[in-house]
Amino acid sequence: MKKKTYLGKLSVLITLLVIVLLPLGAQGAKATQNKISYFSGRVETVEWDTQQVANFEKLNPTIKVEYEFQKDASNVIKVKLASGQAPDITTVVTQDFIDSGLFMDLSDQPFWNRILPSVKDLCTDLKTGKQYKVATNITMGGLFYNKQIFTELGLKDAQNWKEFVTNLEAVKKAYPNKTPLFLGGKDSWTLGHLIEFWAHGVAKQQLGIPGSRQAFLDNAVRWDEPNGIMENFAKALLELRDKHLINADAITATYDNQKEAFASGEAVMINQGMWVVGDIIKLNPNMETNIGFGPFPSVVAGLKPMVLSSEDSVYVVSATTKDADAVLTFLNYLFQPEVQKSFSETRGIPSAFVDVDANWSPIKDDATRLVNSYVNINFSTEAPSGLSVDDTGRLIQKLLHGDYASPLQFAQEYQKIWDSAYATSN
Amino acid sequence: MAVPALVLFSLFFLYPLSRGVWTSFTAWDGFSTPKFIGLANYKAFFQDSRALRDIQNTVLFALGSAPLLNIAGLLLALLLNRTFKARATVRSLLYLPAVISPMIMGSIWYLLLQPRRGLLAILLQQIGYEATSNWMLSGSSAMLVIVLVNVWQYAGMTMIIYLAGLQAIPIEHFEAAELEGASRGNIFRFIVLPQLTPALKINVITNIIGSLAVFDAILALTDGGPGYDTESLSIYIMRMSYGNKTGYSTAVALILFFIILIPVLFSLKFFNAKEKT
Amino acid sequence: MMKKRDALDYPLYPVVLIIALLALIPFFFLLILALKSPEGGLSSIRLIPDFTWSNFPSAWKAGSLGKAMVNSTIMTGGGIVVLISLSSMAGYTIARFPSALNKTIFAILLACMMIPGIIITVPLYTLLITLRGINTYWAMIFVMATNALPFSVFLYSAFIRSIPISLEESAIIDGCSWFGAFWKITMPLLGPVTSSVVILQGVGMWNNYAQAVFFLQDKAHRNIPLAISLFFQQYGANWPLMAAAATLGLLPAVLMFLFFQKFFISGITTGSIKG
Repeated sequence: MKKKTYLGKLSVLITLLVIVLLPLGAQGAKATQNKISYFSGRVETVEWDTQQVANFEKLNPTIKVEYEFQKDASNVIKVKLASGQAPDITTVVTQDFIDSGLFMDLSDQPFWNRILPSVKDLCTDLKTGKQYKVATNITMGGLFYNKQIFTELGLKDAQNWKEFVTNLEAVKKAYPNKTPLFLGGKDSWTLGHLIEFWAHGVAKQQLGIPGSRQAFLDNAVRWDEPNGIMENFAKALLELRDKHLINADAITATYDNQKEAFASGEAVMINQGMWVVGDIIKLNPNMETNIGFGPFPSVVAGLKPMVLSSEDSVYVVSATTKDADAVLTFLNYLFQPEVQKSFSETRGIPSAFVDVDANWSPIKDDATRLVNSYVNINFSTEAPSGLSVDDTGRLIQKLLHGDYASPLQFAQEYQKIWDSAYATSN
Repeated sequence: MAVPALVLFSLFFLYPLSRGVWTSFTAWDGFSTPKFIGLANYKAFFQDSRALRDIQNTVLFALGSAPLLNIAGLLLALLLNRTFKARATVRSLLYLPAVISPMIMGSIWYLLLQPRRGLLAILLQQIGYEATSNWMLSGSSAMLVIVLVNVWQYAGMTMIIYLAGLQAIPIEHFEAAELEGASRGNIFRFIVLPQLTPALKINVITNIIGSLAVFDAILALTDGGPGYDTESLSIYIMRMSYGNKTGYSTAVALILFFIILIPVLFSLKFFNAKEKT
Repeated sequence: MMKKRDALDYPLYPVVLIIALLALIPFFFLLILALKSPEGGLSSIRLIPDFTWSNFPSAWKAGSLGKAMVNSTIMTGGGIVVLISLSSMAGYTIARFPSALNKTIFAILLACMMIPGIIITVPLYTLLITLRGINTYWAMIFVMATNALPFSVFLYSAFIRSIPISLEESAIIDGCSWFGAFWKITMPLLGPVTSSVVILQGVGMWNNYAQAVFFLQDKAHRNIPLAISLFFQQYGANWPLMAAAATLGLLPAVLMFLFFQKFFISGITTGSIKG
């Protein structure tokens, strides 16, 4: 009797195993198709990507695209790489990856003929002069403002820091219950972006774009220099805090709060990238005609206002891909003008292709004006790859929280974590 | 009879563990070839002010959370061991919070408790009360809130184990004690508590381990902030691991293991001695 | 057998009520949020919801929750079966035969419970690739059972110790092996423990995200936490929809608990330990 129960349990277990293992076996018998893997971290275009993959497979029945989306893409990809599972195409790129020779050289690809030269420049790897990544769009970042209030108070784009503070003070005086500049500090990446725009931006203006990219790569910029970029940046933020020109809960408000506050008119200005426009209009359709887009001032005296204009929507191809032809066929399908037009409009950002004319956003005109009138700077991808905007953003949390004895101390800690991250990747 | 369990465990845990331990002796960034550096990671840890602060945060959290969980769980179990009409329903309700993933639960609590903008703050505003303090701005008040949320979520789990222990006490023991005229307090001390030793042991140890490894609750409520004031060691490990310092993070993880080991060993010794009497 | 002394004192009723309500607060708000209409941000929330029931089917479709439900059920169910059978036997061995070897094994299991999971994530991933276990049910089932093994063995061994060995000894005298004695005599008495394991570990399996994110990559094998996380990212600003998805996601775990707690706990008070 005892044997029966033992065998009984064992057979149940084995049956269970067989049931789940069967589907595995069945997979091996599929027809010979070219399979390529496409790994994306772009959450805004998941539906668009899925649609395009389906369209592409219809037009190319011999190629199967395995599309995978992960919101934690930058972390998941490391695990994939460590296990020899590099995706054929991916949207996650860092300088470290490029240095490790993980990507295919795309320099000789014909699609560059249709892409803006400035974007091609931004895609060029400074160490080798080649292009290992391609970008299909441009994104911009700056200060979004409530047009109605600005017009009402007669305010214009601030040309320097003093004017910027004057603008904010005017808002505060006229509307004591509104927030002149709203920060969503709990989501530390929004603060990290503040560093990217306002602080790194100064270095980029001072050294020029190729110059600054090289300087970041060589860790040649001295952030902790007295009266340097970081100390002035810290001073500037503290001035805003002490004059109550930012929201009192800057450290605990979220990115969602920031969007809501701007959409409802509670916040008059926010520092953000173009990606917010769609969300704000969803929250309050009336904002469509009320969103102004302007440059941000320099925290260091004597420099011009800046706008962030950077390559976006990048793709890279694995250097070890087994089917380069299939990959390039897929990419070239995606890069067709009509497909890119729909992408540009879905994402709400301009296309990098010269033959794509899309109506990508209500702020299109403002954007053009900015690009032409002010200093364009790019998003820094040349910061040490272990240093994320989350990490740097947390330092600002500490700054606003009063953890530093002086702005210089903040600058020194920034230098320290930059050095530490730099040492790890070299 | 333990063989199948051991096979499973060795393959899916011990083997990866050994490889993981080896990583702690390397300077690995997570994707390129690792470089052996001996004990350098461990040495670096003791110079790492952020890591040392995180130990403080983690231990403080555990000192609040673990005892509270046990007290709350035990009280609830005693309360719900009695019979009354809706007993099964109430038990289920109390356990319910533990069913939800801590990340989601933390997010909901944040929605409720966010200073000035959370649902609670909005509702209070509507009845005219405007809170001016911001519990998230100080490490200690933030930690207190996190402890309370954690206790709220897992007290039900602790309760279940105590209930299982209480229910296993033979009714005859109670009957005999009643016949002899024992008081409630004495019944608890001399009949219930000794029989609860297995449940106590499990709960105390599990709560110590769980509290020292706290991760989701903090991430959802404060993201470790402001700055690093509520960052726990587990969160630090994750951030280092994904910040291209995978080798170092593994070493920190092993140090965390030792931090957990000490109180657990003490508890085990204590309870095993009790069991013998 | 229910004596009067077992009943709850009336004065404590309000206490129980308050505690029960406290436990429900976030669920209450989750539901209110799920029933809110999608317009306006969080600040437009009110105590009386808009009763937008359509949020639920919308969330179900948008998040492909149906397939995720099936996947989660298969993997959690399989994981529990494997876990209970393996950990109960192991717990029994350790409790009944306290040899040096068994004590060491127990110590190792316990020690492993304290090891932060992140250490094994990458090597485990590599291992599963070698075993071709990525995107399969069986690998996830075994991994989740392994996660829960130390705690369950701990639980079983602790409670088995409190059951008199005399029960099994009399069965063995009648001709049973230790194995048979375990399954026929001891296991039924472990009702409360088994139900505790199912409830405690089953929930953990249902909510597994940290490992699922690496081991279940394709849409066909996604479990509920993955589906909801993806949902959160895609519809980030749409809190009502997300609340609806989260509510749907936790419903099965809740139902599972309700089922098991009734089934086992009622069983013990009657068929309790006999002398």
